[in-house]
Amino acid sequence: MKTNVASIEMVHLVKRFGNFTAVDDLSLTVEPGEIFGLLGPNGSGKTTTVNMISGLSAPTSGEVRVMGYGLGTHTRQVRQLLGSVPQETALYEELSAWTNLDFHADLFGIPGREKKARIEAMLDLVGLTDRKDSRVSDYSGGMKRRLALARALLHNPQLIYLDEPTLGVDIQSRRAIWDYILALRQQGKTVLITTNYLEEAQELCSRIAIIDRGRLVTLDTPEKLKQRFGGSVVEIESVRPFEMMTELRALPGVEDVQQEGRSLKITTQSGSNVVPQIINMVAQCCEIHEIAVRVPNLDEVFLHLTGTALRD
Amino acid sequence: MFNDLGYQLRVVWACAKKDFHAALTDRLFTILSLFVPVNVLILMSLFVLAGANAPTAVVMEDQGPYAQAFYLAMSQAHSFRLQKNSAAEAERLITAGQIVAVVTIPADFDAKVQQDQPVQVGVKINNLNTDFTNDIRRAIPLSITSFYAKVFPNLVSVSVQEKDLYTHDTGYVPYLGVSILVIALMMGGLLQSGTAAAKEWENQTIKELLLSPASRWAITEGKMLGSFIVSLGSTVIVLLVLIVFVGVVPINWGEMFGFTLLSLVIFNTAGTLLGTVIKIRQPVIALSMGISLPLFFISGAFAPISFTTPLLQVIARIFPIYYQIVVLQHAFHGFALNTLSLGGNTLILIGYALVLIILVTVALQRTTVSH
Repeated sequence: MKTNVASIEMVHLVKRFGNFTAVDDLSLTVEPGEIFGLLGPNGSGKTTTVNMISGLSAPTSGEVRVMGYGLGTHTRQVRQLLGSVPQETALYEELSAWTNLDFHADLFGIPGREKKARIEAMLDLVGLTDRKDSRVSDYSGGMKRRLALARALLHNPQLIYLDEPTLGVDIQSRRAIWDYILALRQQGKTVLITTNYLEEAQELCSRIAIIDRGRLVTLDTPEKLKQRFGGSVVEIESVRPFEMMTELRALPGVEDVQQEGRSLKITTQSGSNVVPQIINMVAQCCEIHEIAVRVPNLDEVFLHLTGTALRD
Repeated sequence: MFNDLGYQLRVVWACAKKDFHAALTDRLFTILSLFVPVNVLILMSLFVLAGANAPTAVVMEDQGPYAQAFYLAMSQAHSFRLQKNSAAEAERLITAGQIVAVVTIPADFDAKVQQDQPVQVGVKINNLNTDFTNDIRRAIPLSITSFYAKVFPNLVSVSVQEKDLYTHDTGYVPYLGVSILVIALMMGGLLQSGTAAAKEWENQTIKELLLSPASRWAITEGKMLGSFIVSLGSTVIVLLVLIVFVGVVPINWGEMFGFTLLSLVIFNTAGTLLGTVIKIRQPVIALSMGISLPLFFISGAFAPISFTTPLLQVIARIFPIYYQIVVLQHAFHGFALNTLSLGGNTLILIGYALVLIILVTVALQRTTVSH
């Protein structure tokens, strides 16, 4: 493995399917040891990008390098360095957890003398030792994800890619999977995550790239993205919230006003000091039941940047 | 490490073992794929039996020695399945559609033959099937000639001086049985390996294979080996049925085993190619069935292809099934059905196997996971 090189380097990456451009001139770098989030709505080009990183799909133009290795020339080295958890898990459901891991160990050339110990360690890590002989088809969604993660880690990869790691997983399993992912960073591994859940990206990722229609919209840390979004979000619950919407929209420094039931969500612009004025205006009109002022979340950042909600 | 042959062989064995395990867990499908070839064998055997000798009632109104000799001549014509009935019973049977013909040997048969007078043998034919009708129309005059040749050898001056190419005759069933073995191997191999390959795509587990550093060659070989092992089960059953129950015994056991295994390799490779290209099990199953039957019929299943039209001969020579029938007929009956030597036919089959293996590897190599 080469040292002092980016874990992933994409340079002017393009992927076309006929007339449709799935990935459009994408350039970005993932540094060693970071958890990097690739965010975008369905069909934004996330999985196509990752398929190109793992060599499952060839770019139409541009270049991908993993740990300094070009995919066209060092495909096998790249695959040895990469551990993948695909969205659909790609587990053999008719086989047991142990057989799945045993097969993976053979595919990745794990020495026979180490195989048993490593499989046991991985099953232990994801808490599936007592179900090692059960058929995977009998597992819950969360258990399958954990097993897929164990399989991805079995050959000790330096770069782990997780496609929607908690999709369809219950809250308890989701927390457990997050903990495994965070532990990977402590081991010095690089993690690439694609997700639709901004909450997940916020919790796990050191940097986030937002892509939409195959193009990079923005790339930054979660905190900086929120700062770049602007000021604050004021949420006010009152008796007749709709009466004030037009006046509030006209206030200088107010970017957006939305009504959700009996609540108003007012987004302010960066640097403005309009929050006291908003509260006064609403209080003069009608009784306020509840008020909250907070920083924007990533859902709002995404909406702001792309004009569409993430889970469209 | 990756260039290490040991590693690649380990991948081959791991893929084969995995597919074998997967087949064992999918019990219903495995049972089906084991018995589809046997089912084909039974079906085709029924077809053969249905097309065999015509059931014919003989009404013996005369029991004299000439009448008996005529009956014997009919029974040796290889066209009738004879039964003696009364006139009323024979009429009932032909009206009910249970027999093809009623042959009536008249009460004055012996007397008239003895007096050298003309005698008419009555023949009533249920002519709803031209095949059987023509059999009867051909076989009755043949029986009359045979009768005269045997009873009055001096009267028949023209005789046949037959020289046989082979030391023994081969019946319709033993000949066709070998061809049926080929179609059974074909269906079993295509179904087993085709569905095993397509299943990887349907269940998205292909990603596990394609994301590994293993060579596509090793993965391909492993998958084919797995299907080969599973197909061996159905092959053993088909061979047992053919040899033990149908009674078609090979004259060269070594050739029989060798060519059966070579055929299995070819069909498993073709099935893997089908599954890799189509990627969905249902069309693979439909295509396996759809391809097998027409190829079986044009590849010399019933007789050497040189007995058919030139166009059919050209088409048959394109596919390996023709050569498989040739070499297996040689293994079972010692025939040489074409002008090539046994080694020549074998080399052609090995060539098919190698080309198919290369095609599967290229198909998997060129495969990308589209999204």
